[in-house]
Amino acid sequence: MTDIDVITDENAPVVPVLYEEPVRKVKVRRRGRVTKWLAIAWLAFITISAIGANSLPYIPNDCPTNSKTCADALTSNLRLAQIPPVWATFAETPKPVQGTPDHLGLMGTDKNGRDLFARSMLGARTSLIIAGLAITFGLLIGTFLGMVAGYFRGWIDTVIENLSNVLLAFPALLLAIFLVTFFNDPNSTDAATSRPLWPIIVALVILSIPPLTRLVRANTIAYAQRDFVVAARSLGAKGSRILFREILPNIVPTLLSFALTGLALLIVAEGGLAFLGLSVEAPVPTWGAMIAAGSEPLRNGGWWISLMPAFVMFLTVLSVNLLGDVLAQKFNSREAIG
Amino acid sequence: MRYVLRKLAQTIFVVVVVTFLTSIALRFLPGGTDVIVALKTGPGATKEQAEAVIKELGLDKPLIEQYFSWMGNFLTGNWGQTFQTNQSIAAEVKRGLPVSTYLMVYGQFLALALAVPTAVWSAYRQNSRFDRAATTSAFAMLSMPNFIVAPILILLFSVNTKFIPYPSTYTSIWDNPMDHFKAFFLPTLTIAIPLYAGYMRVLRSDMISTLQNDFITTARAKGVGTGQLLFKHALRPSLFSLVTSAAVNIGALMGGVVIVEQFFLLNGMGRLTVESIFRREYPTVQYAVVILALIYIFINFFVDLAYAWIDPRVRAHRALG
Repeated sequence: MTDIDVITDENAPVVPVLYEEPVRKVKVRRRGRVTKWLAIAWLAFITISAIGANSLPYIPNDCPTNSKTCADALTSNLRLAQIPPVWATFAETPKPVQGTPDHLGLMGTDKNGRDLFARSMLGARTSLIIAGLAITFGLLIGTFLGMVAGYFRGWIDTVIENLSNVLLAFPALLLAIFLVTFFNDPNSTDAATSRPLWPIIVALVILSIPPLTRLVRANTIAYAQRDFVVAARSLGAKGSRILFREILPNIVPTLLSFALTGLALLIVAEGGLAFLGLSVEAPVPTWGAMIAAGSEPLRNGGWWISLMPAFVMFLTVLSVNLLGDVLAQKFNSREAIG
Repeated sequence: MRYVLRKLAQTIFVVVVVTFLTSIALRFLPGGTDVIVALKTGPGATKEQAEAVIKELGLDKPLIEQYFSWMGNFLTGNWGQTFQTNQSIAAEVKRGLPVSTYLMVYGQFLALALAVPTAVWSAYRQNSRFDRAATTSAFAMLSMPNFIVAPILILLFSVNTKFIPYPSTYTSIWDNPMDHFKAFFLPTLTIAIPLYAGYMRVLRSDMISTLQNDFITTARAKGVGTGQLLFKHALRPSLFSLVTSAAVNIGALMGGVVIVEQFFLLNGMGRLTVESIFRREYPTVQYAVVILALIYIFINFFVDLAYAWIDPRVRAHRALG
């Protein structure tokens, strides 16, 4: 649908639409490839930092393996409190006292004088472990339930369908809060055991199961009527064999791209819970809790305290989403996701 | 008429199931009565004191009885007081509901008002510079949860430019419209940004497939102008997914914007519910859940009507069956 007026108008800059088309296409594709590699690079960086956070130069090397003590090791030093990042020359806050370690400049420090970069990387560890484990278990359970419901149908299908409808009827965040509160034991006085990781993971797994089940069920139904499945069945293959050898390999691509989208959603969900103080115990850094802690200094000039972890989190979520999108386009399964 | 009656029966059924499940689930939360007693009497309550509190609040009765007495209170409008502060629950809900409603309405309105024209134009000029900018920015916005958007907005509008006071206090629109809109500006924007991104993507892809239909070519051939073509002919058939996702979001926005309410210190339904869960205020949570469920059902009813408006085939189908 070219606008003929534009081309015949002498004053207007002539845009040779037809000739530019191929050039543009190449451009778009190259841009996409660059962003894809940027996303992969960022995720690799954040994963390596998360794994090796203990040996980052900014964190004491002699830190024990227990991450809680490790976070405590980044002890408060009020002399270094609220130092803006070095590149923020426009910040109005007092410049650091003499003898400040250079590395604090990368992202500045928080209210307690703890290095924000180090804490962001430690936070990546918490978030990625929680979200990664949750999506893995969610996928395993959701795939199983969805395939069973979609292949056998009947009463199993009805039960699974109704259960997931009940779960979906609640606002997701409320449900998560409910589940985390449910699994946390307030009577336990020992701080280390009162907020273990697993309640959050279990809560997120339960949250992620219904949509995954739905997706897998829809895909299974579609494949169950295909000729190769019918052929396998008429050759006498058992239900379990058809499910795992015939149908599963076909839905794996869809699952992979959906897993990445789910991972991004779960990172956000964990951040939300942490923001409300429902994730791991306080000294262990998580992105959500760091952003929440920075909302108060935000008012009196300490903007980087919230924004630095927010920035790291944004880049991570964006990268995961981008890769999910790339995969989805590659396997051409966009309809199945929506 | 029969349609309405059937809907009503369904509504009652869903409300009963949801509230009953909530009441059971609430009782299973760890700590339970201990938390209530501790909050009510302060730490170190004796056993007798604790029992007295539990008796006073009627928590010693069987669960079914508690549920039915709650149901009776709900229907008669005599909602009672909160356990801890002895405040009227009805007043708490009355305070929270308008805040949530404003947030939801403004957020949805802003998101839709921005998303519809952007999506339509993006779809019409697919792969143009505008389209690429719109889709890329929407993609980025989709990766920005509320608690990332909020500090950025506060920094831009409140700290650096002092344009909007933060934290803003809630004022009724009737008392002082200017203050009201100032207070709701940033929370609305925070809510609207991710919503906009979602709507824009949904509508754009639907619109692209609509524009490939024959009736669009026919209309074009008849000489229908671009604006007329896009908004009168193509928009309506493309609205299905948008209406569905907007409707789903209404329910989520009424109860699920706890983080935005927390960041901007607004007392909406989300905060009320969450804090009541923490304090084990069983009846308050149940009332909040009932109201959210009723709103959800109500909205779904209207969405059904909207489908009939969007697609005449739905209307015909319904008239037949």
